[in-house]
Amino acid sequence: MAENDSRSPNGPGDHSRRNFLRGSGLAAASAVLTSQATAALAEAEAQVASAEPQVLSGDVNLTLMVNGKDMSCVVEPRSTLLDTLRNRLDVTGPKRVCDRASCGACTVILNGDPVYSCTTLAVSCQGKKIETVESFDTGENGVPHAFHQHDALMCGYCTPGFVTACKAWLDRHPGKEPTLEDVKRGLDGNICRCGTYIGVFEAALAVAKNQKGV
Amino acid sequence: MAAWPESTRLIGSSIPRLDGLAKASGRAKYPSDIRPEGMLFGVILSSPYASAKVKSIDLEPARKMPGVKAVLAMAQPGETTIYYQGQEIAAVAAETEEKARDAARAIKVEYEILPHVVTERQSSAPDAPKVFNNGNYRAGRAQTAGKPDEAMQKADVVIEATYELPVITHVCLEPHGLTAEWKGSDSITAYASTQSVMTVANDMVQTFGVPASNVTVLTEVMGGGFGSKFNADAWGIAAARLAKDAGRPVRMFLDRAQEHMIAGNRPSAKAHVKLGATADGKLAAMIAETSGTGGRSPSNFPLPYVYHVANRSRTHTEISVNCGGARAMRAPGHPQGCAVMEAAMDDLADKLGMNPLEFRLKNLAETDPVGGGINRTELYHEQIERGAKLIGWERWKPRGQNGDGPIVRGLGMALHQWGGGGAQDKQVACIINPDGSVELRSATQDIGTGARTILAVIAAEVLGLEVGQIKSNIGNSTFPPGQSSGGSTTTPSMAPPCLNAVTQARDELFQKLAPGLNCAVDDLTLSGGKLLVKGEEKMTWEQACRKLGVMPINTIGRFGPGLSSIGVGGCQFAEVTVDIETGVVRLKKIVAVQDTGLILDMLTWKSQIYGGVIGGLNYGMFEERIMDEGTGVMLNPDMEMYKLAGATDIPEIIVDAYDTPEMRKRGVIGVGEPPTISTAAAIGNAVANAIGVRVPKWPMSPMNVLNALAAKEGKA
Repeated sequence: MAENDSRSPNGPGDHSRRNFLRGSGLAAASAVLTSQATAALAEAEAQVASAEPQVLSGDVNLTLMVNGKDMSCVVEPRSTLLDTLRNRLDVTGPKRVCDRASCGACTVILNGDPVYSCTTLAVSCQGKKIETVESFDTGENGVPHAFHQHDALMCGYCTPGFVTACKAWLDRHPGKEPTLEDVKRGLDGNICRCGTYIGVFEAALAVAKNQKGV
Repeated sequence: MAAWPESTRLIGSSIPRLDGLAKASGRAKYPSDIRPEGMLFGVILSSPYASAKVKSIDLEPARKMPGVKAVLAMAQPGETTIYYQGQEIAAVAAETEEKARDAARAIKVEYEILPHVVTERQSSAPDAPKVFNNGNYRAGRAQTAGKPDEAMQKADVVIEATYELPVITHVCLEPHGLTAEWKGSDSITAYASTQSVMTVANDMVQTFGVPASNVTVLTEVMGGGFGSKFNADAWGIAAARLAKDAGRPVRMFLDRAQEHMIAGNRPSAKAHVKLGATADGKLAAMIAETSGTGGRSPSNFPLPYVYHVANRSRTHTEISVNCGGARAMRAPGHPQGCAVMEAAMDDLADKLGMNPLEFRLKNLAETDPVGGGINRTELYHEQIERGAKLIGWERWKPRGQNGDGPIVRGLGMALHQWGGGGAQDKQVACIINPDGSVELRSATQDIGTGARTILAVIAAEVLGLEVGQIKSNIGNSTFPPGQSSGGSTTTPSMAPPCLNAVTQARDELFQKLAPGLNCAVDDLTLSGGKLLVKGEEKMTWEQACRKLGVMPINTIGRFGPGLSSIGVGGCQFAEVTVDIETGVVRLKKIVAVQDTGLILDMLTWKSQIYGGVIGGLNYGMFEERIMDEGTGVMLNPDMEMYKLAGATDIPEIIVDAYDTPEMRKRGVIGVGEPPTISTAAAIGNAVANAIGVRVPKWPMSPMNVLNALAAKEGKA
């Protein structure tokens, strides 16, 4: 919202936004389904409808391609990708924090998209390319190095999620040097409790600049 | 005894933390990541009720579930009273976490549900059910100085107001817990997410009666504690019991909802304050009736904080509710006391028609009431001057003059102080090996502050090496006694013994080398990885160490006077915009000026300040535990509706290290807690300045802001 917004706090008929929000009890802004989002939803529903239904139960033998390697284990249909990685495959870079797709600590890159692995079913990931923080370049051009140099971590438990979100953003915006605002929006799906955001912003900007120059 | 070097190469510079790359690349193994051979997964069954008696527990259905290896009752039927939702009832260990959760759900528990009180309001009702047999209140006696009533009568200007801060929870990202592994019948290793490996080890010794020499607690890294992770806790003990029963290691970490409910919180605060001043802006009297709840735990906070009020009285009432107990949380009590006092100061300044900055300068307490007893008056004057410049305080305008809306702008400020001194009984071992490798050892741990790194900085400084050449081994309870990470005491407790250990080790090395080099010990120095004789390079560090033969040097360093101090402080400024139609507050800028004695690593030091400010920002803007009075349950035990700042909520933050030669002479002082104290207070004052009326309840949520605006317009 522009700060020179000239709308009056007491608009016509006293129907100001403030009174509306107080009256409706909705103090937080609510999302509106845009036509674009509606179209995406319709497409997703069509995909689901045309897919061959599969019913899984009990123990399921599963092979996942994690960081370029096929890894096999036994899961249940309800097992999340996160719990499968952490508890069965010993891939512990992704962390379990909120376990409800709120904080981003479990972020992995699935077929090029950053996803919350705590709310992704493991059985739905067969045949997909799973990248976790462990596979990233730890050298001077990599995201982990930039986080290290800018002290973009304290306890470090959220850090793999931030690093993964940052890597995914860079992969999806090749050659683009982000603004601070871009970085903030790109990393807004992750939460840090120690309060390392300033270092995270610096690290993300530095690595983007560095990679652009390469 | 050693002293801090006059001129430094590494100390005070910006050095990336030693374990930073391991953490950022996902390679660091946290206690919740470690999986010993054969490990089972543990789950705690929690009470769904806030107040109940446990009548019976049937564990058999759980025992019969596939994959279950051990089941344990944690509540005793007929005896255990449930005081809060989430209280431990039973524990299960199974082959997978999914199976353990199923088994926990299968346990049959009969409860006699009792009436509950889960809010201060509910607890204070005339016929409220009792949390303790002797009632829901513990009213303190009035603490009185001077003649407050008489002085209040004589005051020219008086404000009377009520301020409230909610209960918040720690939200450590790595949940509380540990993985327990028995090695034989009387030897246990625990991989614990803790801020005190020694305390957890002691808990195991006390509980299981095993020899202390057979207990090892390991915390290589850990995912946040903020004051809530000192002990093994009931669930950690349950993990060890299950591991013993099953004959296999057990990993037991709380889930997110349990974290909110049973792993600690910061108590609420409510204060009815009368504050009076003379027309020239000197505080005359303060009368405060305060209360707060920490569940069934204490809830006090300091008042009148950093200001001098000669005539004052204060009565504090501890209110009990059926909620999990409070635990220490980053600067316990101070953010509450600071917010209450600084709000009252601003409200009184407004009524006096004074600039609140000038009003503060007239009323500073001459003796720091918290730590060190030093006179902070001059320090505060200088710090406020610096902070005011950085925020642009010259733009400050009185309330009601900050725009017609809907977007209004405001500035606010607040002061804080903290002890931050250290313990004098801790030790660090320094080992110089014949191959030139150097190791430090201590049973302290790195809670995320950079404790591991600062020890290595000290060693590298003294030995003329690079920080990466020092192996800083901490997080092991069997090492020489180290400090718990709490109270901002880790650095001032550990840096002095580290300096002494390394200095002694260096001196021993010199003593062994001098005869062979035909020189005096005093002729030897270390610099740039080389040994120098009278300033001339003689050999490399490795060559020098090789002369030790097969015998490493192994020293133990202890506390030494003059290396650390107590008492730090600072000020913070906030700039906000508020949309007076929606109640949405946006932070524009925060300035934090902070002193802290000798800074060892500027990079990790700054991270501490940023982190403190952002913690305080969360308290000021977002956090709130919401309890349902009808059902007695927490309504937001998650990270969706329990709100914390994300990247787009973070404003420009300017950290100004008050790093003067005089400060450095004080030696090291801890800084984890102080910078989190005054942020919420400064934000609250900035919002009041912007919208022209006090928002008496934190956080500065749209609802609280809109309610304050409505009250101003008589629409409440």
